[in-house]
Amino acid sequence: MSWAWQNRDQIGHLLASHLYLALLPVLFGIVVAVPVGIMCVRWRWTWPPILSLTSIFYAMPSLALYLVLIAYTGLTDWTVIIPLTLFSLSVLIPNVVDGLRSVPPPVKQAAVAMGFGATRRTIQVELPLAVPVIIAGLRVATVSSISLVSVGQLIGIGGLGYLFTDGEQRDFTTEIWVGLILIILLALLFDGLLVLARRWLTPWEARAPRQERRRVVQVALRGANAGVKGGSI
Amino acid sequence: MITFESVTKRYPGGTVAVDALDLEIPDGQTMVLVGPSGCGKTTSLRMINRLIDPSEGRIMLDGTDISTVEAPRLRRGIGYVIQQAGLFPHRTIEDNIATVPLLEGWNKAKARDRARELMDLVGLDANMARRYPYQLSGGQQQRVGVARALAADPPVLLMDEPFSAVDPIVRSSLQDELIRLQNELHKTVVLVTHDVEEAIKVGDQVAVFYPHGKIAQLDTPQHLLGSPADEYVENFLGFDRGIRRLAFFSAGQLDLETGTVLAADTTVEAARAAAQRCGEPWVLVTDGGNRQPQGWFAVSDLDRQPDRETLGSLSLPLAPLGHTFQVGRDSLRAALDATVLSRTGRAAGVDGDGRVVGITTYERLRAAIQTAEQAGLDGNPDQPAFREGRTTPEAQQAGADDAAEPAGEGVRPS
Amino acid sequence: MSYFSDAWNWLIASQNWHGSNGIPIRLAQHLEYTGLALIIALVIAIPAGLAMGHLRRGGFAVVTIANFGRALPTLGLLVLIFVLTSGSILSWLIPLVALAIPPMLVNTYEGVLGVDRELTDAARGMGMTEWQILRKAEIPVALPLILLGVRTSAIQVVATATIAAYIGLGGLGRYIIDGLARDEYNVVAGGAVVIILLALAVQGLFTLLRRVIVPAGLRGQAQNS
Repeated sequence: MSWAWQNRDQIGHLLASHLYLALLPVLFGIVVAVPVGIMCVRWRWTWPPILSLTSIFYAMPSLALYLVLIAYTGLTDWTVIIPLTLFSLSVLIPNVVDGLRSVPPPVKQAAVAMGFGATRRTIQVELPLAVPVIIAGLRVATVSSISLVSVGQLIGIGGLGYLFTDGEQRDFTTEIWVGLILIILLALLFDGLLVLARRWLTPWEARAPRQERRRVVQVALRGANAGVKGGSI
Repeated sequence: MITFESVTKRYPGGTVAVDALDLEIPDGQTMVLVGPSGCGKTTSLRMINRLIDPSEGRIMLDGTDISTVEAPRLRRGIGYVIQQAGLFPHRTIEDNIATVPLLEGWNKAKARDRARELMDLVGLDANMARRYPYQLSGGQQQRVGVARALAADPPVLLMDEPFSAVDPIVRSSLQDELIRLQNELHKTVVLVTHDVEEAIKVGDQVAVFYPHGKIAQLDTPQHLLGSPADEYVENFLGFDRGIRRLAFFSAGQLDLETGTVLAADTTVEAARAAAQRCGEPWVLVTDGGNRQPQGWFAVSDLDRQPDRETLGSLSLPLAPLGHTFQVGRDSLRAALDATVLSRTGRAAGVDGDGRVVGITTYERLRAAIQTAEQAGLDGNPDQPAFREGRTTPEAQQAGADDAAEPAGEGVRPS
Repeated sequence: MSYFSDAWNWLIASQNWHGSNGIPIRLAQHLEYTGLALIIALVIAIPAGLAMGHLRRGGFAVVTIANFGRALPTLGLLVLIFVLTSGSILSWLIPLVALAIPPMLVNTYEGVLGVDRELTDAARGMGMTEWQILRKAEIPVALPLILLGVRTSAIQVVATATIAAYIGLGGLGRYIIDGLARDEYNVVAGGAVVIILLALAVQGLFTLLRRVIVPAGLRGQAQNS
């Protein structure tokens, strides 16, 4: 651990770059996924093609995508950010759609009967009620994204992943451990922040951690339905 | 006034949900649509606020064809209550209730004031205003549902199986509440239910549907029970309609026996004489001052303690009083029920303060029923009928203080 | 630079289809690693998931394993185990198996848990043994999800085996790692295309498998929706 302390500047640097590479795609993902999800619910025919697209992106090994992109972006941060954004979208869009659709029929019916127009209903009723499901999706996307960035190290852009290749070349286990632990801690930290965000955003939900955990598992399963955790490559 | 003019709803598969329906729903009345599932009652209801559009015919609301009104605007003027309340889980109780006023562009403070007012009206505690729906019981949620539907003071209220999702005790109290609200507000209420009891209890008019979208009978509850149009309606009403119908006749019509209502300080001698004079085997003992009933003595027992002088001094056990009925408020059904349950085959009728008015027996009940039936057959259908637990216009004037009291349950234990 | 024409030219060059570094050999190696890791993971994860699901126990453990599996960086795990085991067969087998277990475990567990409790109670009421309940009621209903778990694991292992080339494993990953090391971008491009095709082929294979194995009445419930 003294090694980590001596190299804190470099590690801090890697950490910042890791977060940047991991979180920007999730941010892009959610900004795009919400309107696209709304569109898929409003115009049902758009959903099947978009679902197929997301499941392909989900299955696409991200290293292969990085390599394809090098040809177009050169070796820049975008080489990693773009594939991770596609991956985030493949998790988030199905979730937004599911969340919007999970609004109980009586609630939807009541909204219509009280004179909500379609747009107002989506924004004032369906979207807020979808927040827990959307955040469950965000948790999966964020944790995966944080762990995925390190693969980018194989093309030289991998944040904390640098500690893995460097440690391997120097046969220095401590460095690898530090990288592994930091990445897991980061994932846990942002996962926890999202849980807090959900509590703050949805005071109307009964506090039920068990239910919350199940929701995340189910989101992960939904991801599995669409393809594979792109996280492996 | 809502008018269905030969309205038909046909679904793509060819199913006819509603078949050439003609129906007039007068202002300020409660119209109940009742029938088995799939009979088109809900479809009919949902056509009124255009959740469903008819295939043929038209629906007029106060002379305007509703298909010419933009749906969201139409709906904001019509309250709608559904089975699971359909509250917005993400809004507090007050904001749920204020939904339509806010849609109508009221400012937030005014809308919330209105919400508090309505919470009071439907019997919800003010400290629930900031809670979320998940923190309320099913019955409370349903009250919020009703308050929300009433928020913008719409003249029309549609209720789709509003009380079906709650347990029977809560259901009964919500029904009472609806009756009380209706006494105050006089909305045009259209209520759909599959429960005949509910229809008869809350309806001013009841439309019984055949299974395939036609009305079998449209009538007041007491006429429905008294003269079902056909075998279908009769079966639908159930087996004990004769007794249920008695709920529409006031116990005030009973000719009560008063001769055997005796204060505790009456001498045994006098009591025996009174019983003999009236031909009654039982006397009812009251406490002297305010005529509260105590219990029954069998006349044959009165000789057993010759040394005691008054009824009050006898140390014999009284036969239990049993249930009483309130003469001005309860129905013949309540009086009959009390009589059947009583060990003596007699029940005491009391006034609003619990003072004994008189005693009924099976014989007296039979006479009253006969008279009532006769009057019912000859009677004027427009005349406001007696309704158990409801304040009639006269009663409202007589006891303005009581008008806001929750409606009673009929027979109360003494 | 034209990525796809580079990749295409590399793919159709006949020398890339022969010899020990030819596509068929590399593909066979890749499938061998994947298959071995999957079978080991299957033998561990499926019985464990069935048992926990049937007993309705261990939910917290399963969720934790799932979350942890997601947070674990694959490259880091590969490199760490490689250094720790100093290059034996275990150095790639352990990470591949470790990454293949969570999806299968979670899916199996959730699949069994998803069986209507009334169904199992009814089965018990009819006098079925626990084993019969598992075999006749729970496994058939859970099958679509179990199959999805295996598919997820399979694609994940295919992808991770590629990365394992970094620690010296054979298979299709060699093209990428060696190509990057030697700045031969046409090799990298061609290799990436083959890997993408393999991932899609595995996905297609499992879609097909589901059609064959899963009873028609249950197919709807694990649809991509």
